[in-house]
Amino acid sequence: MPDLLDIQRDLALGLLDAEDGSRAARRLVGDAGLLQRRLAIYRANAAVTAARALGAAYPVVRQVVGDAFFDRLAQACQRHVPSTSGDLFDYGAEFAGFVAEFPHTRSLPYLPDLARLEWAVHRAHGAADARDWDRQGLAHVAPAQQTAIRLAWAAGTAVVASAYPIARIWQIHQSDFEGAFEVDWSVRECALIGRDGFRVRVSAIRAGDAAFIASSLAGAALGACLEAALAADPDFDLGAVLGRLIASNLVCGFTTDKDD
Amino acid sequence: MNTIAAPAVGIGLRQPHYREVFERRPQLDFLEVHSENFFLDGGAAMHALERARAAYPISLHGVGLSLGSADGFAQAHLDKLKRLVDRVEPALVSEHLSWGSLGSRHFNDLLPLPHTREVLALLGERVDRVQSALKRPILVENVSSYVEFRDSAMTDTALLDELARRTGCGILFDVNNLYVNAVNFGFDPMARLAELSPAAVGEMHLAGHTVADGCLIDTHGARVCAEVWTLFAAACRRFGRKPTLIEWDTDLPALDVLLGEAATAAAIARRAHEDVHA
Repeated sequence: MPDLLDIQRDLALGLLDAEDGSRAARRLVGDAGLLQRRLAIYRANAAVTAARALGAAYPVVRQVVGDAFFDRLAQACQRHVPSTSGDLFDYGAEFAGFVAEFPHTRSLPYLPDLARLEWAVHRAHGAADARDWDRQGLAHVAPAQQTAIRLAWAAGTAVVASAYPIARIWQIHQSDFEGAFEVDWSVRECALIGRDGFRVRVSAIRAGDAAFIASSLAGAALGACLEAALAADPDFDLGAVLGRLIASNLVCGFTTDKDD
Repeated sequence: MNTIAAPAVGIGLRQPHYREVFERRPQLDFLEVHSENFFLDGGAAMHALERARAAYPISLHGVGLSLGSADGFAQAHLDKLKRLVDRVEPALVSEHLSWGSLGSRHFNDLLPLPHTREVLALLGERVDRVQSALKRPILVENVSSYVEFRDSAMTDTALLDELARRTGCGILFDVNNLYVNAVNFGFDPMARLAELSPAAVGEMHLAGHTVADGCLIDTHGARVCAEVWTLFAAACRRFGRKPTLIEWDTDLPALDVLLGEAATAAAIARRAHEDVHA
């Protein structure tokens, strides 16, 4: 008698390969025609599952390309980079990379960056809730210690830099968007993604701010973050940027080497 | 609040109904959610689950643990489930008699298993492992299927009953799944009820299906059909009062449709109980 692993390997081939269900059929009861129709039900389920999971993570990409095209895109993505987790919230991390290589979306060159932004939004939705912290402490760090400060960020905070106005594109596709549906396509935008209570906000920020936040999120100390920010934008204003980040609860703590 | 009174009916709580359920607080004995939708650190979904938990007993219904995968067990998935169980303290925790992953690929589906001694032994180990991690018994559900394995040597109901006897797990008896399989494979579903020990049944599921090309497809996207209500009445007479759930996942209708189905289930369960005790 075949062992269970052999049976599951054969059934998996039947689920993946619409052309040839013969490996699966030898494990199953019924004639070839019936089994092809029955295996097709599982393949159709898989396509619906992929479209639903990716559609939940990428609602703006779905709006941009349309439902029918998105479903095909999701199916193609699933064949190329299948799910590896029983938790579908984890599925779709590679979607932006897949879209970048997909030949039929080349007329929408901003789509991969928009997808990267949406993945950050998706992860932020499930990120840990913000906790209170001692804001006064930051002002009391000795001047000699200040460049060694490492900021702690609210879970889900992310920056996506693009050659396209991706924050604007994302915003005008939100159901509660109010304002003119205008996009200045000449603008290169860096998008800041972060939780505000249970909402996820996306805003366009200056290149220097983005360089600063990206360095800090990667673990750099304040001195190195400041250098990165000034390289991107000579007018970078640390005090103003930090003030905004603290006020919006995206910065939610700090350490100095003294604490290590 | 972490036990369910009998006879009890509940509905699957899905995101489009959150607000209305919290505002109306409908008369329900429990709510069931998919465990995997709440494997999150925080955010609006977790907050909604906490609100639901404050008002109703919760049943956590897993769809991704893949108990029957031959080539490995997803310990990381079990760890996430354990974290959620510790957080929610649910009344019930359930999974399926199925597999979904092979190698690194996950099909994210409840794929059927051959019903063999080998599968019974594997599931016995897996259920033991889950129950010792969670420090509580789980329920295992019979799944709908579109294919049958040549190697199957017993029915899924007999396998589940033996699994329950060996591991102390309970059985989540999905009435619609049994009916779907009965039509798809041509057997008498009533006869299968006798294979389940009443004491082992810990919950029942009711849902709708669609018909395509002579095959019933378990979509959870329609009302419970007449034949399934009849089967449910027979199940109530045999198993007694068990928490019963209306499951609806695709083409989700207005909340009142689900509440109507739940009321029908409650009425049938009551009548069955009166018949037995008349």
